[in-house]
Amino acid sequence: MAPPVLTPITQALNDGTLTRDELKGFLRRSNWPAFRLLTIWIVTLCVTGYLIRISMGTGWVWPAMFVHGVVMVHHFALQHECCHYTVFKTRWLNDVAGNICGFIIMLPNRHFRYEHCDHHTYTQLSGDDPELIPLPKNLWGYFWYLSSVPYWRNKFSELFNHTLGRLSEDEKRFIPKEEHQTIIWEANIMVLLYVAIVTICFVTGWWAPVWYWWLPVLLGEPVMRFIRMTEHVGKPCISDMKENTRTNYVSRPMQFLCWNMNYHAEHHYASSVPFYALPQLHEKLRHVVQVEPRGYLGAHIDILKQLTGRKTRSDATEATPRA
Amino acid sequence: MRDKTWQDLIAIADLMPKDATPVKFGTRELAVFDTVDGITVAYARCTHGAANLCDGYFDGKTIECPLHQGLFDARTGAARASPARVNLRMIQSRTLNSMVQILI
Repeated sequence: MAPPVLTPITQALNDGTLTRDELKGFLRRSNWPAFRLLTIWIVTLCVTGYLIRISMGTGWVWPAMFVHGVVMVHHFALQHECCHYTVFKTRWLNDVAGNICGFIIMLPNRHFRYEHCDHHTYTQLSGDDPELIPLPKNLWGYFWYLSSVPYWRNKFSELFNHTLGRLSEDEKRFIPKEEHQTIIWEANIMVLLYVAIVTICFVTGWWAPVWYWWLPVLLGEPVMRFIRMTEHVGKPCISDMKENTRTNYVSRPMQFLCWNMNYHAEHHYASSVPFYALPQLHEKLRHVVQVEPRGYLGAHIDILKQLTGRKTRSDATEATPRA
Repeated sequence: MRDKTWQDLIAIADLMPKDATPVKFGTRELAVFDTVDGITVAYARCTHGAANLCDGYFDGKTIECPLHQGLFDARTGAARASPARVNLRMIQSRTLNSMVQILI
């Protein structure tokens, strides 16, 4: 067994930032907030999908697909919550929803769950955090990351390798041996379903998945990359949760789309707290975590300042990677 | 080696009702679970990532690790969901004279 760890939430309990009663109140689970939000979610998808339909055949179809795509890529936010089992009180519903979301955005759910576990164990530690997005070396690296080309290259390569039964050394570190076959099966099932859908498209001439799903996801992914960068990029590569993660104040529509994950520092403090309780948890922790009041744009201004030499780069204080 | 004896751990009145309560017993960190089937006691650290399970979500039957949301049956210690795979170590317990006692 690993040596005892002092999680941020235990630390917060120990130093009186939060009482145990308050924590237990935040941890309470319910299915209803997710059912309500999912209803609005599906209506939103129908509306943005309808925009594509009415603009089909015109140049407006591209901005319509982009808008729909921005919603589509936010299935990541829902999947992320599901992998923490904090969307639904009924645990298996989180698995079902997580797998559906993962299929929509090509992020195998079981693989993501294990990868994300290590992200929470080694948040922002170079060489250990499998989800760490390094601070780009320069502006070219910044825009290259935002283009999503490296992201998709990695994801396609991962999926392809998994279908062939290959796991990288890094993956073998965070996925237990007993689960390797599950990861390989998951990738194969996913690819088979994609191939089946493409085949149906060719046979029937029904190309809706391309217009309403795949092209929008490709167009929307840079927005998700933009948002993902605001969570940790530009923050020091150290284990202190008070320093290495940003909470961003964002507009209500963006908060809806990201399932309150803009309260990212609070989420890292207590990842078992459901999405709907994060705003209340924020009220308790706002004085001890890093808050970006200007939201996503403010976070990127911070990152760009570091890239253009107007602020000390956060990785100047990087911790020594694990040998 | 001395025989195990029943020893007082915590007053029932001091437990978090229907929840997990962290208790120090010497150097040991224990968790007292007020389950639907009665009170049980286990070592408090998750067998996967070693977080203190008492800070996690408890539904009366299972305790969820606060760090990675692995799951254990708080009545038997059985690991129920990944990434937890090794069972929790339980300690035999009973209630007597308003106290939770453990055999240790």
